Amino acid sequence: MKTESTLRYVLRLTLTLLVITSVVAVALAGVNSVTAPRIAQQQAEKTLQAIQAVLPGGGESIPFQDDTGMVSQVYQGEQGYAVQVAPPGFKGEIVMMVGVDNQGAVLGISIISHSETAGLGDIAAADSAAGEAFRGQFAGASGNIAVTKDGGGIDAITNATITSRAVCAGVSAALECVANLG
Amino acid sequence: MNLKKQLYEGLLTKNPVTVQLLGMCSTMAITTSLFNGLGMGAAVTIILTCSNILISALRKFIPNEIRIAAYVTIIAGFVTIVDLAIQAFLPELSTSLGVFIPLIVVNCIILGRAEAFASKNTVLASTLDGIFQGIGYTVALTIVCVIRELLGSGTFGGGLLNGGEGIRVIPQQYPAMLLVMPVGGFLVLGCVIAGSQWLMKHLEMKNKKKEAAK
Repeated sequence: MKTESTLRYVLRLTLTLLVITSVVAVALAGVNSVTAPRIAQQQAEKTLQAIQAVLPGGGESIPFQDDTGMVSQVYQGEQGYAVQVAPPGFKGEIVMMVGVDNQGAVLGISIISHSETAGLGDIAAADSAAGEAFRGQFAGASGNIAVTKDGGGIDAITNATITSRAVCAGVSAALECVANLG
Repeated sequence: MNLKKQLYEGLLTKNPVTVQLLGMCSTMAITTSLFNGLGMGAAVTIILTCSNILISALRKFIPNEIRIAAYVTIIAGFVTIVDLAIQAFLPELSTSLGVFIPLIVVNCIILGRAEAFASKNTVLASTLDGIFQGIGYTVALTIVCVIRELLGSGTFGGGLLNGGEGIRVIPQQYPAMLLVMPVGGFLVLGCVIAGSQWLMKHLEMKNKKKEAAK
């Protein structure tokens, strides 16, 4: 093995790694500049679909006041409001759209993204009969939104009480936000 | 000759899932529908092949002392590229695979092949290794997916056929939910490993008989 001074040795290792990380960074920046607008567009479309699902006719974004810290957007349409809320679920935030009519009752809910347990909590967002039955309970609801265990009128998803409570909390936050709009 | 041997190893005798038992996290977590299995398999195959090519091309340039750091950087780069591409062009797949795409970075298959194969072999051999190991992973994953989906949800081809619903084979009230849960993943994987062991023994015996006959 040929001898190499300590300085040269350290420099060689550092520079090699620097070159590799720089090349990877430049490549990622390139890919990101192509995909970022498309990803933003996908998300915008998803949000738009969720608004359409809970508020027939859609709506325009309006300013709002939020005391719960869960509301991220409010859209106003002819029939009422669509409120985007993100209550903390069992694993991370459940981003969902809640439709509220002009009388302050829930029109419907639509879950945009979540990371709840597969087979249990994710039923809340699933297209299955059970999922639709769970979400359907919220239509027309107003006042105190809670699962039956907490004295409310919503039947929780079996083995997914935390997810069900989170959805209730989100709907409550949306109703409160709309009530504050006057 | 080498080609055939590498393919055979990737599919059976050195299969990343059933023999090397690598990448268990993703195998357990996402194998609940055919679409997930094929999507994850394709993502891993692409990343594995790309990182194998680059790592074997750079194997003389990367000093031994920092090789793991260099490999992980290269792998993370490819994973992020694939992740961004899936988010941009296949949003459905990104929703169902979720966090498991970024987690390919720490999937032992990729680092394992980089360390065990790509860092010691030519670019061509490493490319083939990436493709065949990737196919082996995809095949094993797909088998687990099909069994879990069929017995756990009662459908075939979920997320892919019949408008994403999958073709219903078993009426809705009968499937065993247990198999869709992580427990079911372990049970099915155990059976698939046993099956592949049986197949290997079976083929070995056949070869021995052939040689004895000669």
